[in-house]
Amino acid sequence: MFSITEEIECYIACITDSSLLPLMGMNIFLALLLFTVYLKAKSSVFRIFSFIAAQLSMVFAIGMVASAMQCSQMLTIEIYTAYVLASSAIILLLPCVYYKALIKRYRARPITEVMDWPQHFVNILSKKAEVYYYDSAVPRAFASGKAVFLSMGMLELMDESELKAILAHEVWHIRHNNKTPILRQLSIMTFTRNRSEDELELLADIFAGEVVSKDAVESARAKLN
Amino acid sequence: MVKLDRINLSNEGLTKFFSPIEAQIMEVLWTNEESATPEITAKTGIPLSSVAGTLDRLVKAGFATRKVDKKGQRVRYLYSAAESMDNTANTITKKVMDSLVDTFGKVAIENFHTYQNKK
Ligand SMILES: [Zn+2]
Repeated sequence: MFSITEEIECYIACITDSSLLPLMGMNIFLALLLFTVYLKAKSSVFRIFSFIAAQLSMVFAIGMVASAMQCSQMLTIEIYTAYVLASSAIILLLPCVYYKALIKRYRARPITEVMDWPQHFVNILSKKAEVYYYDSAVPRAFASGKAVFLSMGMLELMDESELKAILAHEVWHIRHNNKTPILRQLSIMTFTRNRSEDELELLADIFAGEVVSKDAVESARAKLN
Repeated sequence: MVKLDRINLSNEGLTKFFSPIEAQIMEVLWTNEESATPEITAKTGIPLSSVAGTLDRLVKAGFATRKVDKKGQRVRYLYSAAESMDNTANTITKKVMDSLVDTFGKVAIENFHTYQNKK
């Protein structure tokens, strides 16, 4: 008969006896470090690299734990299952909270602090989307989670119909992301530039063209090039 | 941008201390009370794609300041120089002199004196 306390005792005994203990600790520490790098990374190459490296060092750590086990293999399997469950939960939840990290990183503020109509306009297209602006002269717009980000540079460069086209474009991304299967979402998060990105941009532009006007989309694009 | 390792004495005028784009923008800011972004691109003749990032950097480095100007449902930045040209010249001169004195001590100071007597 298995008892969980016995198992844990055996576990602790096996691990403390193991010569691999410092290596295991280092590996887990490394994995956590790499996950932090992954979350903070700004370039896509960095993100891919840190994500894969983090997963690898986690798998190594679990492998070492398994090899150190002499008495019970069960708990290792249980721990592995727990890890898989926890990491999938994080992967599932991350897109929902990641935009909050972006709000902090860009010190973004709700757009309603400077102008009212963009949030009203977005409310028509999506019930949950929130519009933020941030302090930078470089014209940029992007969406994450349920947030649309516009730089001040974008706000001052575009006229109202162009801004509407940009907002519609970003809202399309938000709607589309919510419909994207988890695995693809993960691949988009990790590999921020993949081949189908141009395709997505085109679809978002088509949507913006339908909601606002083709001319608005084209003149906004022209101003950005 | 007035980082000592980036000072290039063989360059002309302000580009000894600023990049050419930075220098052109700063000249506009020093000669105008407040400038909006389109005025800066027009007066320098530099496209927005190069001006925007440089403006961000000048603000971050403390040479330029900007405020958000709301006009109805439009917003825009209004830029101004953080300090007058003279004060900026003062800051740069101090920085360079500090580093000369730091490196050469007495020799640098003696040279400043002969320089002053010559004038
Ligand atoms: Zn897009």
